[in-house]
Amino acid sequence: MIALALAGLRARRSRTLLAALGVLAASLVVGTGVSVGYALATGFERAAEQADLPDIVARFDDTGTEPLDERVRALPNLAARSYRFERTNIPLTANGHHTHQGAFHVLLGDRRGYLVAEGRDLSGRPGEVVAEQGLAREWGLRVGDTIDVGRAGALRLVGIAVSPDNVAYPLARAARVYLPDVYGADTPANLALLWLNDPTKADVTLTQARSVSFGLGRLEFVTRDGVKVLLGQAAGIVISLLVAFSLVALVAAGTMLAAGAHADVQRRLAALGVQRALGFSPARIAGLQATEAALLSLPAAAAGIAIGALVVAGPSAALLASLNERPPGWALLGPLALALAAVTVIVVAAATWPAWRAARRPPAAILRGGDVDPRSGGRAPGGSFAVLGARFATAARARWAATVATIAVCAGVVTLMLALASLLERLRDDPGTVGKRYQLTVPLDASLAGRVDDVPGVAGVAPRYTADAADSYRLGEPLRLVAFPGDHTRLEAPPLAAGRRLSGPGEIEVGLGLADALGLRPGSTFAVQLPGGTEARFRVAGVVRALENDGRIGWVRPTRLLDDDPDLRPSLAVRLEGGADRDAVTRELVALGAPPQSASAATTRNAQFLGVLASVLRGVGLAVGLVCLYALVQALAVTARERRGAVALLRACGGDAGTVARVLLGAATAVALPGAVLGVVLELTVMGPVVAHLAAGFASLPIAPGPGQVVLVVAGLLALAAVATALVARRVLREPVVVGLREG
Amino acid sequence: MNGVATVTVRGLVKTFGEGRAARRVLDGTDLTVQAGEVVAILGRSGSGKSTLLHLLGGLDRADAGTIEVAGMDVSGADERQLSALRRRRVGFVFQFFHLLPELTGEANVLLAGRVRGAHPDAAARGRELIDGLGLRPVAESLPSRLSGGEQQRFAIARALVNDPAVLLADEPTGNLDVEAGAEVLRLLRAGAAGGRAVVLVTHERAAAEAADRVLTLHEGRLV
Repeated sequence: MIALALAGLRARRSRTLLAALGVLAASLVVGTGVSVGYALATGFERAAEQADLPDIVARFDDTGTEPLDERVRALPNLAARSYRFERTNIPLTANGHHTHQGAFHVLLGDRRGYLVAEGRDLSGRPGEVVAEQGLAREWGLRVGDTIDVGRAGALRLVGIAVSPDNVAYPLARAARVYLPDVYGADTPANLALLWLNDPTKADVTLTQARSVSFGLGRLEFVTRDGVKVLLGQAAGIVISLLVAFSLVALVAAGTMLAAGAHADVQRRLAALGVQRALGFSPARIAGLQATEAALLSLPAAAAGIAIGALVVAGPSAALLASLNERPPGWALLGPLALALAAVTVIVVAAATWPAWRAARRPPAAILRGGDVDPRSGGRAPGGSFAVLGARFATAARARWAATVATIAVCAGVVTLMLALASLLERLRDDPGTVGKRYQLTVPLDASLAGRVDDVPGVAGVAPRYTADAADSYRLGEPLRLVAFPGDHTRLEAPPLAAGRRLSGPGEIEVGLGLADALGLRPGSTFAVQLPGGTEARFRVAGVVRALENDGRIGWVRPTRLLDDDPDLRPSLAVRLEGGADRDAVTRELVALGAPPQSASAATTRNAQFLGVLASVLRGVGLAVGLVCLYALVQALAVTARERRGAVALLRACGGDAGTVARVLLGAATAVALPGAVLGVVLELTVMGPVVAHLAAGFASLPIAPGPGQVVLVVAGLLALAAVATALVARRVLREPVVVGLREG
Repeated sequence: MNGVATVTVRGLVKTFGEGRAARRVLDGTDLTVQAGEVVAILGRSGSGKSTLLHLLGGLDRADAGTIEVAGMDVSGADERQLSALRRRRVGFVFQFFHLLPELTGEANVLLAGRVRGAHPDAAARGRELIDGLGLRPVAESLPSRLSGGEQQRFAIARALVNDPAVLLADEPTGNLDVEAGAEVLRLLRAGAAGGRAVVLVTHERAAAEAADRVLTLHEGRLV
């Protein structure tokens, strides 16, 4: 059977090649998606295991290690402990680079909690330093280089470490280095690293730790699971997009291969009928088809998946490194093998099913239906060959619908990618995206608000107070409080999801992210630990869809914040008039004594990462566009092959290359145009809302494409239809007219 | 136009296959057809009759020899020129009609007139032909609802819609009953009466009787 199948594939060499290219293209996408998705989904656990990440990290004010250790070693479920002394805002200089936002950790125990990726660990001798991997990469540091670490002076870099308790520098604000303890017993600790016997019972240890924490200032706990959730939020959207993208590619390839196999079987019905008349069983005929499909798909899929995995190996490793996660290495082979099996099964099933269905009919019925029988339409087209081509394309309605559906899904994904990329850039650059209606902030005293308001071009100004607080019930869930005197919606108005706006100093509007985490709803009482140590209680007036600080945010009046800390200084939030000269306003504000800053959007700190992600999404959109092109070429090639008699007749009647191209363009447009329109509708009604919910259910993400993007997608698909037309027309015109006439 | 050579073929050679499998179906074929003349070409299956017709109509290319159709050198023409030849100078009638199943009989006839560069009066002429051939009552029918004779008459109307100088008919009665076949031959004769050169390929002696001259293709040559 294998010899017969190979002979069949050789006999249809060009079609075999086209089908193999399709499988390869789809597998390439699948390989890409599986590689990045698996790497991101498992990267944290892998890194955490390799780095021996502690189950709990506790932060607190500087404390002597001996009294601290007395309390810590009494904790239940504790397997091991270690301490560090952390200092932030330290100047670091090396290799021509400099930052004031360095952080050093003096290691006060043997168990590290990080992985030395290059070089060696600290030996305990003075003069040595280990740098975090992101810092080393960003500054081009190598083992043996020298780093100036604040007052510790010039230290020799002996190792480069990966610490998955945070993302890498510069995604993380601080550039971190590790130092040996050269001060002996005098060195205080402000970090405790705890390893547990049973990590699933971390809550028991945390409760006990909270109860014995009397005297420890600004105590904060971060669990390993908490770190994983935070990093997972960043990676989750990328993973879900890649998985969706891979599925789209698989569905597209499966649909097109099934359509191609169906057309192939239709053409070979006579041969199938003869085989059946000669005594071949339906199972043998289907088996032959399955063998052909397997012989074609297995090498093509293996090549595609391998290429996909290799292509993304570099970017994926870079992405993992920026998240302080580890690449999967050989462990990736398992998922890739599964992907290969899945692709092969889909292709074999898609190719075998039409042959099996056809071969089960009586041989006489198969022989009677040996010719291609496109459905009759009706009246003549209105003088256009393009309309005739559209009629050709829509004659096989099920295939047309399947192709349109494939194109629509692809177009929807492309639209989604473009909309997401724009959103990310808006999140990076446009404070309006997160509900901020002011454009500038000025570090001026609130008493100067009136003078700022008088500046030409300023539409409104109000003091904006912020404070980082923690909830009093859930072991200090951190949150940000924002306060404006009076109606805050004039300057900051995140959309209301439930309840109403706050109306007094005893009320709060909480972000949906915070409400979900703490089970808050309108009418709930919310107790907050303010930075000064006092507790404030607010009645929840409303829940808002806020993106800032992952939705862990609340809007209040400033009264209680000022009660807690009378020295709390606001900045002035400045709203500009429409069309105001921003530079002129800036000059006026500088003259008042303080240079204004642009209002930040969601994640200004991660601006560079968002920019890269936007580029990646556009690249993914381009790749899906190529899948569209493949689907169009495949659909058009099947139509042209099926209607080669009609095309040959047109040529026999004197139709030139232009006539053939118009017919094919009509056929391609009949698929591309409805596909594009449906794709945009799909994005608007399904994909956009679903992804917005997946990415940030706590906020209102405006993932709707702009008019320009819709035009770009529709025009792009029509351009792809033109490209597909050119490719197929070239092949059709190379065929002698008589060949088509013989088959027609 | 009588007495003027509309089709002139000299030393035509066409080989199919390569090496030991090569088969020379036309081997120095010569042919001249005058305007207004009907020439029937007989021959056994596989003797090269249809191949000769395809070469005359620019549907295929010869290995050697010259072909001149209605004043145009076909053998040296590029694809664009061959399209123009098929558009304005040659009309084809096929054994299996080759009507597009999606289009009505009339739309099939007018289709050839919609090709860019077609005769400017093609549409009006097509309607006249439909009326003249008695096809008006079934002009709006799809091919699947037409008899074989009706389909072939629509095919002849389509071949004539651009008023070609040469009509090439490949087994035009091969798929028809005697009565319908006779009607088709009458129409081809009428086409010749309008000053066209008609080349009719057939293996039916009865069909050949309608021709002014009968030639037999034997071992690659017309005798």
